[in-house]
Amino acid sequence: MSADITKMRNIGISAHIDSGKTTLTERILFYCQKIHAIHEVRGKDGVGATMDSMELEKERGITIASAATNVTWKEHDINIIDTPGHVDFTIEVERALRVLDGAVLVLCSVGGVQSQSITVDRQLKRYGVPRIAFVNKSDRTGANPYKVCDQLKEKLDLNSVMMQVPIGLEDKLEGVIDLIRMKAIYFDGNDGEQIRIEEIPSELQAEADERREMMLDSVSMFNEEIMEKMMEEEDIPEELLHTTIREAVIAQELVPVYLGSAYKNKGVQEMMDAVIRYLPSPPEVENKALDLDNDEAEVVLPSDSTKPPVALAFKLEDGQYGQLTYIRVYQGIIKKGAELVNVRNGRKFKVGRLVRMHSNNMEDINEAPAGDIVALFGIDCASGDTFCDPSLNLSMTSMFVPNAVISLSIKPVDKSASDKMAKALNRFTKEDPTFRTHVDPESNETIVSGMGELHLEVYIERMKREYGAEVETGAPQVAYREAISTSADFNYTHKKQTGGSGQYGRVAGTMEPLETTEEKNYEFVNQIKGGAIPTEYIPSCDKGFQTGMEKGSLIGAPVVGVKMTINDGQYHAVDSSDQAFQTAALGAFREAYKKCKPIILEPIMKVSVEGPTEFQGNIFGTLNQRRGMIVASNEEGNYSVVEAEVPLSEMFGYSTVLRSSTQGKAEFTMEFAKYGKVPTSVTEELIKKYEEERKAQQK
Amino acid sequence: MVRTELTEKSPLRSLEKAVQGGLGKGNIAVIASKEGVGKTACLVHIATDKLMRNKHVIHVSYANRVDHIVNWYEDIFTEISKKRELEDAMEVHDDIIHNRVIMNFNQKGVSVDQVLASVKAMMDNGQLGTDAVIIDGFDFTAGSAEDIKKFKAFAVEADIELWFSDSYPEGADYLDDRGIPVNLNKDMDDLSVILTLRADQGYMVLKLVKDHKDLVSEDLHLKLDPKTLLIAEA
Repeated sequence: MSADITKMRNIGISAHIDSGKTTLTERILFYCQKIHAIHEVRGKDGVGATMDSMELEKERGITIASAATNVTWKEHDINIIDTPGHVDFTIEVERALRVLDGAVLVLCSVGGVQSQSITVDRQLKRYGVPRIAFVNKSDRTGANPYKVCDQLKEKLDLNSVMMQVPIGLEDKLEGVIDLIRMKAIYFDGNDGEQIRIEEIPSELQAEADERREMMLDSVSMFNEEIMEKMMEEEDIPEELLHTTIREAVIAQELVPVYLGSAYKNKGVQEMMDAVIRYLPSPPEVENKALDLDNDEAEVVLPSDSTKPPVALAFKLEDGQYGQLTYIRVYQGIIKKGAELVNVRNGRKFKVGRLVRMHSNNMEDINEAPAGDIVALFGIDCASGDTFCDPSLNLSMTSMFVPNAVISLSIKPVDKSASDKMAKALNRFTKEDPTFRTHVDPESNETIVSGMGELHLEVYIERMKREYGAEVETGAPQVAYREAISTSADFNYTHKKQTGGSGQYGRVAGTMEPLETTEEKNYEFVNQIKGGAIPTEYIPSCDKGFQTGMEKGSLIGAPVVGVKMTINDGQYHAVDSSDQAFQTAALGAFREAYKKCKPIILEPIMKVSVEGPTEFQGNIFGTLNQRRGMIVASNEEGNYSVVEAEVPLSEMFGYSTVLRSSTQGKAEFTMEFAKYGKVPTSVTEELIKKYEEERKAQQK
Repeated sequence: MVRTELTEKSPLRSLEKAVQGGLGKGNIAVIASKEGVGKTACLVHIATDKLMRNKHVIHVSYANRVDHIVNWYEDIFTEISKKRELEDAMEVHDDIIHNRVIMNFNQKGVSVDQVLASVKAMMDNGQLGTDAVIIDGFDFTAGSAEDIKKFKAFAVEADIELWFSDSYPEGADYLDDRGIPVNLNKDMDDLSVILTLRADQGYMVLKLVKDHKDLVSEDLHLKLDPKTLLIAEA
């Protein structure tokens, strides 16, 4: 590895499911000679692609965890984070994006900009990640890279520009024309590893000229010298084009588009050249941390190796030798044997083994400079933790973690499975903040919750495969919430003064709806004057109200969005106590809650269904039957994309229904959109069901 | 103001009065003007008025992005509810968006047959009980008289109102000597109501050109406020 940090790239490969991301990564590894044979994702040879390190991923043909791997391409060190494409694993994608300096947006030449590409692009924008695009699968029937380039403009608002012209398309794809050098490039040999540069075939000269003109037009917007040379019809030096494009890409104002077919070994090396040419090196990206000693003020971290080290743990993995922690170094040098502190809990530790990862193989190293992505061994931490030199107290910005929308109960089949399950849950919850677990106090069952059906399914499978923990699962449950729709006063007295030590407390005030946010869904206001309730019992009231928030009276779901104000009360010199006021407050909460017209809220998913236009009536129908609100449909040729908002509770088993009503030709993705009010008829059903369950439990 | 009161006092009631009680199901109306004068705003206001009266609307567009159209609806709704101090605006909003579907056609030269087939599929399976279909951005220069007959037949069969926009380049003189927008004169039998929109002293003035049976030339006392883009009484 070279010590030159400007020759380092940390890139991610982001894409829609099935646009061939893993195959592309596999080819990159092959051309960088990290691996010596190519395996397919759904491999016939039974080996599977190298990046899909987990057995499960091999079986399903999808990539779940983002493994980091290091390759060398033309004297540049490239760390590749392979990111999962399915929305259910969005936290993984977001976490990977956090540590990237650049990304390759992979698009299918037929599907183009699909719903998932939009989500991924939004995430890239949020983290300000510069990107280039690669139009993969150009060997497929119906391939049209130009259309995809236009869609990048129209649907994603990106200033996209074709950097190449295909030589033949679909099954006739032979190579690409580079519009900067104006040469035809062919990929020979068994695996496309021999690059042959030729003159442009005469029949494509006109198209190449026209496309070069378009490319120059776009690029010249960023450099006057190019514009002048174009007007004077002078030659434009290649180097000038490269530096101009590089600056525009890093400023996120230009997205160069490359094309090829990873599967057919076409165009990958050219895309790699673009990665090192145009995507930024670590010092070219500004990273910020929060100074915990200074009221979380933002501090810029220069990728400077002479400063004390700061690093972020962005991914945990369980290896044969214990926990492997992937880190990105932001400042200073992390050295073997150095002492660091975990800022979250203040625990100090020594850096033991330090390794550079290549999927399942690793290489021991002694130090990692700012900008690098490496892994540590045997560190007890959670993902998202910041490690610093003990002299610093900086934290990398916390990442947005969405609330869980679905849960299910799990039960180990026997005693040995129970221990294994506990171990697995401990690991998974550390790895993935969107995967949570708790024990339901009433049923005593273990409940896991997460971002979608598939999300939970994958963890249950991993439990079985990696930990040998066999569990039985209950039916998936939607995470309902309760809220109030109007305000009401309360005045409640808790009184128990017969025999022994008594209890007495009276609380009065108002309950109001509160606009909820991620961080805040409850507010307590104390307006007691003249000591109607003694100061020492005010926190007891707050606590009693919060107990009320835990369980609404409609279906026992957590209550959100309540503001409780107390303005009057009464106490008894002897019989009032912390407990008495807590009970009084809880009683007051329940009394007021009934008057505030409580409602049930349910998670609403943003669903996107894509399929041939001939089936759109069926698609509309399936959404309509699920209490779905069709927001829009978008038709392009024979293909339509239907967007809808559908309650999560109605989406169970949707894939089967969709498949059977469209001859398997439509696919869908969904992600959490918001909480919405449950309609009256459904509310009644839910209440009835809750009451029956309660009765059954009491028996 | 509550929702019902708001719709009763809507300036669109006077538009209805002017065209003998409204467009009516089975009929087609067209708003013609030069580019960028505010046809989309008018159509969205008309659609929003229908939604407020518990009617179901499909909005067909030929634009690139659906979110732009959604934004139009959001903006118009916000302006209306602000101007009229609508009570429970959020609730009304959440309620009416359930009755609105946007259908976007991205492909150049998509045929009328295909559009109608898709709209029908939506009416049969997606949004039952559709009352009106807004078609913004249909190219009347490319559409033949035959195409308009198909739309008319569809409006009658499906028992819906059809609202179109018809656009002309900046600077063009688009009215013929009878004052009819030139793209439309071949379709006069199938078009029940024709309105034009022109800029006049900082406002956009709505003019009635055809009211069901008769050709008229009447400035309605309705203008489009360039700030809020709402139709208002002049």
